[in-house]
Amino acid sequence: MTVHIEFDGSWQEGFITRMENDGPWSNWELFKLAVEVENHTVIPDFEGLLAPQHLSQLIPLPHQLEVAKQVVENMHGKAILADEVGLGKTIEAGLILKEYMIRGLVKKVLILVPASLVSQWAVELNSKFFIPAVAQRKSYVWEQCDVVISSIDTAKRNPHREIIYNQNYDLIIIDEAHKLKNNKTKNYEFVQNLKKKFCLLLTATPIQNRVSEIFNLVSLLKPGHLGSETDFYQKYKKDSRSLDNHEHLKELVNKVMIRNRRADTGIEWTKRIVETISIEFSQEEKELYQSICSLGEKGAVINKSQFSIMTLQREACSSREAVYYTLKNMLQKEELATPTYHQEIQKLISQVERVQSNAKAKKALELIQQINDKVIIFTEYRATQLYLQWFLKQNGISSVPFRGGFKRGKKDWMRELFKNNAQVLIATEAGGEGINLQFCHHIINFDLPWNPMRLEQRIGRIHRLGQDKDVRIYNFAIAGTVEERIMKLLYEKIHLFENVIGELDDILTKFEVGNVEDHLIDIFNYSSSEGEMKIKMDNFTSMIQFAEEMKGGGQHAATGNS
Amino acid sequence: MQQQEIHKFLERYFLSNKCEIVDKQPNYMTVQLTIELDKELMNRPFYWHYLEKTGGVPNPMCLTLITDPDTVPEHIKGETIHFGSPRLHQIFQSTKNLASYIRLYEKPTSLSNQQTPLRPWIALNVKISYQCDRKKDVFKSIGLSLINGQMVQQFHEKLLKMDLTPKIPDYSFTLSPLIRPKSGVVRIENFLKSEVEKESHSWAEDARKRWEKDLHLLEHFYKDDEVKAESYVVEKEALKDQYEPKIVMSIINGGIFYLSDQAV
Repeated sequence: MTVHIEFDGSWQEGFITRMENDGPWSNWELFKLAVEVENHTVIPDFEGLLAPQHLSQLIPLPHQLEVAKQVVENMHGKAILADEVGLGKTIEAGLILKEYMIRGLVKKVLILVPASLVSQWAVELNSKFFIPAVAQRKSYVWEQCDVVISSIDTAKRNPHREIIYNQNYDLIIIDEAHKLKNNKTKNYEFVQNLKKKFCLLLTATPIQNRVSEIFNLVSLLKPGHLGSETDFYQKYKKDSRSLDNHEHLKELVNKVMIRNRRADTGIEWTKRIVETISIEFSQEEKELYQSICSLGEKGAVINKSQFSIMTLQREACSSREAVYYTLKNMLQKEELATPTYHQEIQKLISQVERVQSNAKAKKALELIQQINDKVIIFTEYRATQLYLQWFLKQNGISSVPFRGGFKRGKKDWMRELFKNNAQVLIATEAGGEGINLQFCHHIINFDLPWNPMRLEQRIGRIHRLGQDKDVRIYNFAIAGTVEERIMKLLYEKIHLFENVIGELDDILTKFEVGNVEDHLIDIFNYSSSEGEMKIKMDNFTSMIQFAEEMKGGGQHAATGNS
Repeated sequence: MQQQEIHKFLERYFLSNKCEIVDKQPNYMTVQLTIELDKELMNRPFYWHYLEKTGGVPNPMCLTLITDPDTVPEHIKGETIHFGSPRLHQIFQSTKNLASYIRLYEKPTSLSNQQTPLRPWIALNVKISYQCDRKKDVFKSIGLSLINGQMVQQFHEKLLKMDLTPKIPDYSFTLSPLIRPKSGVVRIENFLKSEVEKESHSWAEDARKRWEKDLHLLEHFYKDDEVKAESYVVEKEALKDQYEPKIVMSIINGGIFYLSDQAV
């Protein structure tokens, strides 16, 4: 077997010139040092990890080292890193990147992450891994810097797109890769056409996906690994959700994917202490809430398809501002409204105006003062967010707002403000993703998210590696309202707050009954009445109970690291 | 590399580059850089360019390097150096840049007034990298006599035991090479290549198998396309980059050594 041998001839010329010109020659001490350097930096083996000894600022956890080793040695540098939220996928990716850089196999790197995480990646790679990664802000960066971080939305647009396609990348890392599960999107196509010598796809949620989504993700990484599209769908139903009934497929996927679970890591996690706080409405708030309820009974007045009474009910449990905002919109949208309709809405608006205080806000204030430490408040409504900010300020408490719509720089800035200058961060739902706030360990869920799965993401922002304190979660619910009843359903029946969703999903996928998120969205968003919601929820919980009973011992879940 | 080794290494690097160590402690050092080393390490071409244009007084920087951050007094500000730190690797790189070529003479052992003939040798320190989707290196040091073509392995170790000097010693004289230095290098190159070819290359076979396997999958994935998509071509190229085994030999440094008959 012959292997191509390259002999670097550049040294010779310099040598011959020096022979002819009688120098200049280096000194012996330096010459010896150079050989010593070489002996210290020589890579002794194909196997093993050299990165850890280069990292003084970081002690990787055993599961992270194991992942890095697996990817380099057995997966040949192409892998889906699918650890559960908070196990340090960034660290794993950093280790692999560092290893390849030390070995001289990787020089040019493209890292695509959500806009809100660009700076964080840059900071982590620089400070923990001593990798000179640069956040792409000017277009010359693509060509001049070796390790560039950008959002995929920027990268896919011209002129960036063309420049990127002209670079010869050795490694491509994509964070939140589950966003690429649809192969019809522009983002997918963009990534598909990138040259991927080595490639890491990071996602915490590969198994909520339908089989088709796994197919798309794997085909991005290693086209053909799961066969061609036609072959694949002949074998597996497109909407099939579980990999479990397909032993062969599961095995194939596990060749390119590593998934660690919290339970597997052997790490002692700090506790989650969940407390539901029941709050009484003030008299005016109660009257508003009741009027909304009675509106529901006068079904004929309001066209039900336009909005749900439940929306208003839940808003009333948050703040009068949230209700007002929706009512105003209703007036504007309903152009052909009957006079009765107008009247009813106006009546509600005047009732909104009568509300003078917010029982939840008072409670929140009391709690914040008592905690006397950083607190994150999550609310579903912009109007509530604005109100709370004003209200806290009136009471001498500094707060910063946070929304998903903020630009990258603003998000970073707000995070820093919260860390250094403010006691409270008030985030709306979209703000829950893509920002790490381990320095805080108190969360107030001011109201319930429409998609209860988001609760896990909210908590995941602070209950992750690096959190050294127990995390306290306070769920607010107004007594005697729909909110309290939803809370009961969620909390008492499936212990949602304490379960890590992944485990529940595993149970469900085993029985091919969909995933938790889909069920919950259906229950909480598409129920037309509380009664319907309750029935669906009962069905769902009994399904889980059944599944849990059937599960038996020891079996590993769908895409486990078996 | 341990912290003490790093510390020692830095001292030797700066001293052999004629820098003064103004504060020399076991846990840190402050070095007054020379102009040359400032240019080499501090990455401020504009300053030097400006100075040369205006004819100002050069003011090379002082560099404080800390090798044991836990014991250094708080008022000492400097860069902490450890095995993975970019500064250390910059200095590693600089060491190699500054020490690529050398010429040395062996000092006679006895102080006799006898005329000592010194024979020319070429020494090459070479890194051989075996590379596919993984990589490992082997260090080789080869010496070749330019008189009779004799080849000696682990030559550098042998040189370390000798007393060598950059100036030809009194009463010593050099023999003219019978083999030209240029063909000497080629002989070493050929020798190394033939040695490497004799080795077992199961690592390369395995890599080719992986390559073929993935290539096969790729073909299969795009088998339904009549006109192959752009991404097919890109992926194919990527697989080559990923797996193609090759061996790269690069010369770290080397030079000409004039040695006595007894030396080797």
